[in-house]
Parts: sequence; structure tokens; C-alpha cells
Amino acid sequence: MSPWRLAWRRLRVNRAAVAGGVLAGLIALATIAAPLLAPADPLAQPDPVGLQNLPPGAGHLLGTDGFSRDVLSRTLYGARVSLAVGLLAALLAVLVGGGVGFAAGLSRPAVDRLLMRGVDVALALPRVFLLLAVFALWEGVPLAAVILLIAGTGWFESSRLVRAHVRSLRDSDFVAAARALGAGRAGVARHLLPHVGATLIVCATLDIGNIILLEAGLSYLGLGVQPPTPTWGNMILEGKDLLFAAPWIALAPGLALLFTVVAFNLLGDGLRDALDPRRAR
Amino acid sequence: MRFPPLLALTLLAACAGGSDSPSAGTAGGTLVIVVPGDGDVLLPPVTTTATGALVSDRIFPRLAELTLALNTVDDAGYTPVLARRWEHLDATTLLFRLDPRARWQDGRPVTADDVVFTFEVYRDTLVNSPLRPNLEGIAAVTREDSLTVAFHFRRAYPEQLYDATYHLRVLPKHLLDSIPRGRLASSPFGRHPVGSGPFRFVRWRPNSDIVLAADSGYFLGRPRLDRLIWRITPDIATAVSMLITGEADAMEVIPQREEIERALRAPALRLVPYPSPFLAGILFNLRGPRGAGAHPVFGDRDTRRAVAMAVDRATIVSSVFGQYGEVPIGAASPMQWIAERGAGQLPYDPVRAARTLEERGWRDADGDGLRERGGVPLRFTLLVPTTSRPRQRAAVLAQAQLRTVGVDMRIQPVEFTLFERRSADGDFDALFFSRTLDPSPASLLQFWSSAGIGSNNAGGYGSPGFDSLVLAAIAAPSRAAASPLWRRALERLNDDAPAIFVYSPRNHAAMHRRFEHVTIRPDNWLATVAEWSVAAGLRLPRDRVGGDR
Amino acid sequence: MLGFLARRLALAALTVLAVVTITFALVHLAPGEPMLGNAERMRADSATIARQRARFGLDRPIATQFAFYLANLARGELGESFVRHRPVALVLGEALPNTLLLGAVALAASFLLGVAIGSVQAARRGTWVDGVLSIGSLACYSTPSFWLGLVLLLVFGQQLGWLPVAGMTDPAAPEHVGPLGRALDVLRHLLLPAATLALVNAGAIARFERGALVDALGAEFVRTARAKGLSPAAVLVKHAGRSALAPVLTLAGLSVPALLTGSVLVESVFGWPGMGRVTYEAIFARDYNVVTAAAMIAGILVALGSLLADLAVARADPRQRPDA
Repeated sequence: MSPWRLAWRRLRVNRAAVAGGVLAGLIALATIAAPLLAPADPLAQPDPVGLQNLPPGAGHLLGTDGFSRDVLSRTLYGARVSLAVGLLAALLAVLVGGGVGFAAGLSRPAVDRLLMRGVDVALALPRVFLLLAVFALWEGVPLAAVILLIAGTGWFESSRLVRAHVRSLRDSDFVAAARALGAGRAGVARHLLPHVGATLIVCATLDIGNIILLEAGLSYLGLGVQPPTPTWGNMILEGKDLLFAAPWIALAPGLALLFTVVAFNLLGDGLRDALDPRRAR
Repeated sequence: MRFPPLLALTLLAACAGGSDSPSAGTAGGTLVIVVPGDGDVLLPPVTTTATGALVSDRIFPRLAELTLALNTVDDAGYTPVLARRWEHLDATTLLFRLDPRARWQDGRPVTADDVVFTFEVYRDTLVNSPLRPNLEGIAAVTREDSLTVAFHFRRAYPEQLYDATYHLRVLPKHLLDSIPRGRLASSPFGRHPVGSGPFRFVRWRPNSDIVLAADSGYFLGRPRLDRLIWRITPDIATAVSMLITGEADAMEVIPQREEIERALRAPALRLVPYPSPFLAGILFNLRGPRGAGAHPVFGDRDTRRAVAMAVDRATIVSSVFGQYGEVPIGAASPMQWIAERGAGQLPYDPVRAARTLEERGWRDADGDGLRERGGVPLRFTLLVPTTSRPRQRAAVLAQAQLRTVGVDMRIQPVEFTLFERRSADGDFDALFFSRTLDPSPASLLQFWSSAGIGSNNAGGYGSPGFDSLVLAAIAAPSRAAASPLWRRALERLNDDAPAIFVYSPRNHAAMHRRFEHVTIRPDNWLATVAEWSVAAGLRLPRDRVGGDR
Repeated sequence: MLGFLARRLALAALTVLAVVTITFALVHLAPGEPMLGNAERMRADSATIARQRARFGLDRPIATQFAFYLANLARGELGESFVRHRPVALVLGEALPNTLLLGAVALAASFLLGVAIGSVQAARRGTWVDGVLSIGSLACYSTPSFWLGLVLLLVFGQQLGWLPVAGMTDPAAPEHVGPLGRALDVLRHLLLPAATLALVNAGAIARFERGALVDALGAEFVRTARAKGLSPAAVLVKHAGRSALAPVLTLAGLSVPALLTGSVLVESVFGWPGMGRVTYEAIFARDYNVVTAAAMIAGILVALGSLLADLAVARADPRQRPDA
């Protein structure tokens, strides 16, 4: 039986991971099937005076917002931009960060130092301020640039964590054993990869939520996505004004965001346990 | 009928509070005002923030003040402050006699030299006062004797008294003369000002609070309140919570209807309504790209009128503001006296709007619900600053309304500084403006006349008929004579539709109930704060701390 | 160790220089100009604007401006704020201690809370306790900080009335309360914003602590310890805990920028007079000197944070001695 098949078997019996996976799958499905599921046009304003800020009820399962738009429909459609940005940027960031961190951890001290000093410099950049400055001061930044910039400024932490992990494992007994058995650098790397993969998965799963939150803050400044297109970010921020008066407007996308982050994290934890044979209990 | 003891005490205190200089028993009270942003400089000619102006206005008085009616044309609309009286020597000379009791807070008397100095500072290009353009009508200010100054105007016009008093707050020559004019804004004086007003400066903790105390030596009588404290809190929801918990007492205006309603549920708070100085709307750019030729959509008067008629302003106001807003009558804010008998904008009539668009050749040929003409879609981009939630909400509502008649309006949120720059450069199709208007209607000239093109008239609307109406109205000798002219000018503007005037908030100051004698002058809501008071029986611990020790 | 320190400090200086360069370029190349007059109230004429630009050197090529900036910086001059008309050193110097206080308290609290939660989870791995804490820390982590802040504010400030809603002190309080009274006043105002920041950050730290502990518990040397008959608690604390401390300390060091920038929203919600707010406002006003200096200070703090984390890691885990 291949190690991946074994991992799959271990994953299947992990109830939390299965729950997370199912939830993540459902969210992804709902996002794709938004036009079929949404009870209303997310942009329609049937009566912006009479039907605004309606609490959740029969007509509107999650209520309406200040424009009388259906909050459920907007949450479903809003997932499209938010998930796309979160997933793509997190993936990109983790791949770059993991690659650099792994390389640094295994390289000769000179290369390691060079890479990590570069990362140190980059880490000291006040990221949110710089993103704010770019998105606020330049008009109409396209969505692809948003993703690239978020990923491009977000991979440093994972690279440091991966490198720290690699270094802490490099001197451990099992690597020493592998070396003693004649494993070269590539062989050691192959031994370390599953462990590091676990760190990467945690990074990525935490990053997704982080990036969706970041996108929320940036939507507020009017970047990329223009009104009335919904994203979870601009919905939360529209709802923030009404947090005390009509809490459901921010609650729906907020909970959607929460469930998404939890789902990806449970799945990520499960994957890590499954991929790391030493964790099998 | 029996009064509860507390109420009886209140009534007693209220009666006692009527005298000019309150006795020890009636003076007392701390007013904590919550504001969204910090001040920059507490020096009237150079301050550029709302908070800086509100605070420094309490320290530096004017020669004379407008009364609550805000009648800017007639001399009867003013009450003496630093100037005891004034007289028109001839059509272009206005003489002010200063009050000999007026003193700077360091004890020196306020003299004619101070007034002459003040005018020079405001007019100096090195100082770069934002108020300088308002003083163009004044040729010179001269000292006649130590307590008499003469203002010499370039021409005869009715609002001379307004121009001489409204824009100038008198500055102490003996404290400022030695500072280079270009460095006034950054001088230490601007952080520790010394004025001649009812309140004096105590403390300023950046981004936290500014404290003023009643000046017991103020020549028109010590204010009844001991202290004014401004607390800086950027978040509106937090600011309203501060009012509810009693950490703050007052707020100039709560900008969101839902937050107003939340504040109203607190029994200790009340709302004090006053007419709004604000006017917001969608301005069309009548000129083509880079100012050349006519705009493909808005260069045409009938198309502008059709777009204006397709926007349901009443629904927008109800949705965004509920009862706390109104549809303006035109280019005037509700505070201005010319708004009293207004003309009214074009009606909301989507059927007529659609018909007009058809007549002008805008038709939906490809069946996508949006009109085009000669292959060019009926589309334009509306700039909205990211800082303004009400404007963004109104824009999204207007967008949906315009779509029903086949007009494709795109909304582009723009950061505020860029918004201003694109407005100045004429680099836009349409933009959602919001203006705080002066009490004087003369500002219509800057915003809408041909003379304003290239500076404040960003949309490039120019009509000789409108120009001559406004010039005649400004020259009219009295309010009665000016009123019909202003009305015709506003009507002309509404007919030509260079903009859609979408909303004016109905302003309400939120105020703790223990404050009495609260009146609000719309252009400067704290103008009468020296007369506000707290009844002795209702005082909180912070009201008893005392200001002048 | 001394050589290591010297190298790291030299590097930190280089880092800060890079931060200054990037920020300077970014703000100067962005479209728009500082609000030298007041755009909203009345427009200044072009001659006035030109004079103002010349006064601040904005009419020179950007490379020249940068050279001037660096020369001034070398003499300890940060320039003047265009908007506040004051030396930048004063503007930021007043706000920085407030942010440091808030950030330090939040960092310490989140570290303690995060490690505690993570350890309990690792010890009770797979039980319902683990599950509940897992979801709880995730929920904290994925709640927008302004939202959590507003909810705490509403509950503890407005409904229960236990704590003040906003500010750092009560400006209306009598002056003669003494230093202890003033400290108590600040503490009361500090609790809610610090709790908001700490809860969000603790979620992340707890997750890493749990992951690292679980990792370490699987490692050979811990198995050996267990095999030697040590009690599970002793294994967790002595062996696994020690090795798990490294990634968590690294993470705590890395949280400095998150706390600094995360404080922008929290400072706004609670009206805390800190550096985040000043910088945020300066970005929008294009107050170049303030933005650049603030980025530099942030860079210094971050570099210090990561240096301290490395030193702490070296102490906690001898195998990670930098010179080893």
C-alpha cells in the first residue's frame, strides 16, 4: 500500500478532519452553485425604504441590508471573490515561502544566512501599511495585482517558520540516522518534506482566513472590486456601520468567513496528522 | 401641583442663570464634546481641520457675530463682540469702534493695531490662509485711533459687514509680530494660543483631548460652563457609546440614522435640531476629456435633465437618512436664508426621462437593457470618496435607479485626496460632491458661474443668464430685494441641471439633558456655548471640578 | 555571542535602511500630493502651491529629495509634518509610547494565553476539550479585530459599565489624583483594547503551540523520555515543551508587526492615541515625512522583535544556538 493511500485511510477515520473537509467542500460547492442557490439577485433593490434592514425571517432567510438586498444571496455571491483571493494568495504565498524556507534550512550556512537576512529585511516592512499605501494611493488596482501583492508580501513568515522547523529537525536523531545510512542532501530533504509539509499546511490554512480579513480591510478602501459587487470583506464593512442596529448584515458574511477558516483548519490539521506517520496513534 | 425637589432646584438655578456675569452658584459644568479627528493648529487663519477651527473659535472672537437668523445682508443681523459699534462712513468705508474693555488673556488691551495686523496676516500669501480668497473685496484696513479701525472696500456692496467680520478672528499682534509669516502655522503659539475670547487654552494631548477653561476676565462676562473638553474618537459607533455611557456629553452631528436611533434610546440624551449647512449631490462634467469640447453625455442639456429626472432623490434620502435628511431645493443648503422659499428641482419622472433619452437618440438597440447612441453606450463613471459612507450608499441607490431607464452608471470609489485632485483637474464624468456652505449665498458665484471655471466650478457649467442674475443678487441692497433674484438664479440652475442635488442631512446635535440654554447656530454649532449652562442640581462630579482656580 | 549580536545589529540597521528606502519611494511615487493648502475649504493659487512645494523641497527630483532625507536622518532630523505643522519626532514621539504600552501588554497576554491553551490541547489531544479549544481559538483568530473590539466595548463598556469605552485617560477627571490614580485610570482604559488584540493573537499562538507540542511529543527523544518512565506531565513540560517553545517564540517575535498594524483598527475603535492611527491618517494626507518615519520605527521594532525571539530561542533550546 502506498504512503498516500495510508494517509487517506488515516484521514478518513479522523472525524474532525472529515467534518472540516465536508464543510470546506460544501462551501466550495455553494460558491460555484451560487446562481442556483441564491433566492434573489444579489444586486436587486426591491424597496430600499420599506424593505431595508429587515431581520432574518421567512421572506429573507438572513434578512436584508440597508439597500433592501438579500443578505443570503449576497453572502453566497460574495464568497466568489473572497475565496478566490484567499485561496490563490495563500497558495502562492505558502509555495514561495515554503520553497525559500526549505532551501535555506538545508543550504550551506552562507546561503542560508543570505536568504534569511533577505527575509528579515522583508519581514520588517510594515506590510499592512504598505498595502494600504499602494491600494489607497493608486486607483483601480486590478484583482490579479491584489492577489500577487498580498502573496508577494505574505510569504516571509512561512519561510522563517519552515526554515526553523527544518533546522530543528536537521540535527535530530532520525536525520542523523538517515545520514548514517548514507542519505545525501536529497535523501535528507525527502525525509524532512512530510514534516515541513505539515508546517506549510498550518501556514496556508491560517493564511486563508488572514487574507480574507485583509481583503476585507482593503475593500473598505475601494480597491479592485467595485460596488455593488459583493465580497465578504465589503459586506462586513458595510455591516459594521449597523453592527448595533442590524447585526445580521455583518454576521452572515462574518460567520461564513469563520466557518471557512475553521473548515480549512480542521482539514489542515487532519491532513498533517495523516501525512505524518509518526503522529498515527 | 408639586414639583419634585430636584426639578424645583433646576428651575431656581435656571432663573438665577439669567444675569450677565453668573455668580459662583450658577457657574459650573464641564462639557465633553466628542469629535472624530484631532486638530492641527489652534490659530484661526491657518487651521485646516474642523476640530482646530471649533476649538480656536472659542479662544479668538470676531469683531461682530451673526445672530441665529444668519441674515448676512442687513447690518441688523449682527451683534457686537470685540467691536462695540460700527458705521458706514461712505459706500466703501466701514468704521469699527472697539470695546475698550476687551483684553487679551495675558492682560494687554485689544487695540486697533491688532485688527490691522490680523487683516495683514489673513491676506499674506506667505501665511496661505484658506480664507484669503474671501477677503478680496477689502482693499485695506487702517488704524484711525487706538480703538478705531476703518475697512476700505474696493466697491459698494451689501455684504461688507459680513466680509469684514465673518472671516477674520482678531489676533494678538504683540505675541505674533515677531514670528515669520511663513512659520506661523508651525510656531509654538498655535499649540498654546492666547486669545481674547470667553475660553482660554489649558491643555492639548494629541489624538486624545483638548481642554479649554472659562476665562473669568472675559469682558462680556465669564461663561457659565467651567470647562470645554474635546475628546477625539474616530469611530462613530464608539463615539455614540461614549454619549450613552456619559463619557461624553455632546456631538455635533451623528452621521448615521441607525446610530441616532441608538443614542435616542438613552434617557439622558436629547437631540437638538438645526438647519444643515451641508449640500451633497452628483455633479456632471459638461466638458470633454482634458477640458476640450463638450462631454459626450453631459454636454447635452436635455440628456442631463433626463438623468436628473431618473434619480429618485426622495427615496435615496429616506433610505439613507430616514427622517434625518431632506432633498435640497437646489444649489442652496437648508441653513442659507435663500433656501427658505426655494424653487424645487426637476421632478422624479422616469417615464419622461426615458422619453427624453429616446428623443436624444439614446436607444437600447442590442436589448441588453442599456441605451446606446451610434454604438456608444450611455455610460459614465461616478467618483465617490472612500471616506464618505452616506455618499457611497446614495450612489449605489442611484445606480440601481438609473439602470431601470437604461443608464449605466459605474461607481468608482476614490481616496479623498485623489478625489479632490481629479475634481480640480476636471478629470471625471460625474462626481458625488459634498460641501459645507457659508451662510452667505455669494458662494454660488464661485461654484456655478463662468468666472469660477478653472477653480471651484469643477463641472464647467457656464450660463450668461445665470451669471448676471447672481451678480445682480449680490449687489442688491437688502434681503428683500435680493431674494427674488436668488430664487430665479436657483431656478435657472435647476432647469439647466448641471448637477443633481441629492441630499442635505437634517442635522441634530446630540446633547446630555443636563445642559440648559442650548441654542445652535448652524454654521458654527458652538457659537453660543458661552451661554450654555448646567443646573446646579444636576451636576455630575466632573461638573464640580472647576475651571478657573 | 557578542559577535552574533554585532552582526545582527548591523543587519538590523541595513533592514531599517531598506524599509526607509522602500517607503520613501512608495509614498513619493504615488499619485497625489500632500495637502499643502486645504483642498476642501478653498483652493490655494498655483504660486502659493509652488512656494510651499519649494519650501519642503518637493519640486526637486526624487533622488535629490531622498539624498536630503538621508542626510537629515543621519543628523537625527526626521523633518516636519506637513499636516500637523510640527516636527515628526514630536508627533511620533508622543504616540509611540502609547502604542508600545498597548502592544506589549497585548503581546504578553496573548503569549501566555496562547501557550496555555495550546498545552492543554496537546495534553488532551483528540478529546472534546481539544476540540472546543481548537474551535474557540480559531474563532478568535478569524474574527475581525474591529468587530471583536466593538462587541467587547458594547458588553463591558456600555451594557455592564465596568470599563470606560474609549480613550487612554479620562480628561475630565480631577488633576490631583496622584501617580497611582493616573496609572489606575490608564489601566482601566487599557483593558478592552489590549484584550481585543490579545484574543486575536492568542488564537494564532495557541494553534502553533499545539502543533509544535504534538510534533515534539512524536519526536524520538520524547519517546525515549517517556520510555524511561517519566510522567506524561513531566514529558510535556520538560521535554516536548522545551522543544516546542522555539517555533512559538519565533512566532511571538513575528507577531510584532501584526500587533503594530493590527493596532490601527483597534486604536480607531477605542480612540487610543497611538502610532497606528497617526500613520494611517498620514498615509491618506500624504504626509510623507510622518509615513516614512513611522515605517522606520515599525522596522526597528520588528527587527528588535525578531532579534529578541532568536535570543530567546537560543536560551530555550540549546540546539539552536546561533553559533552552533
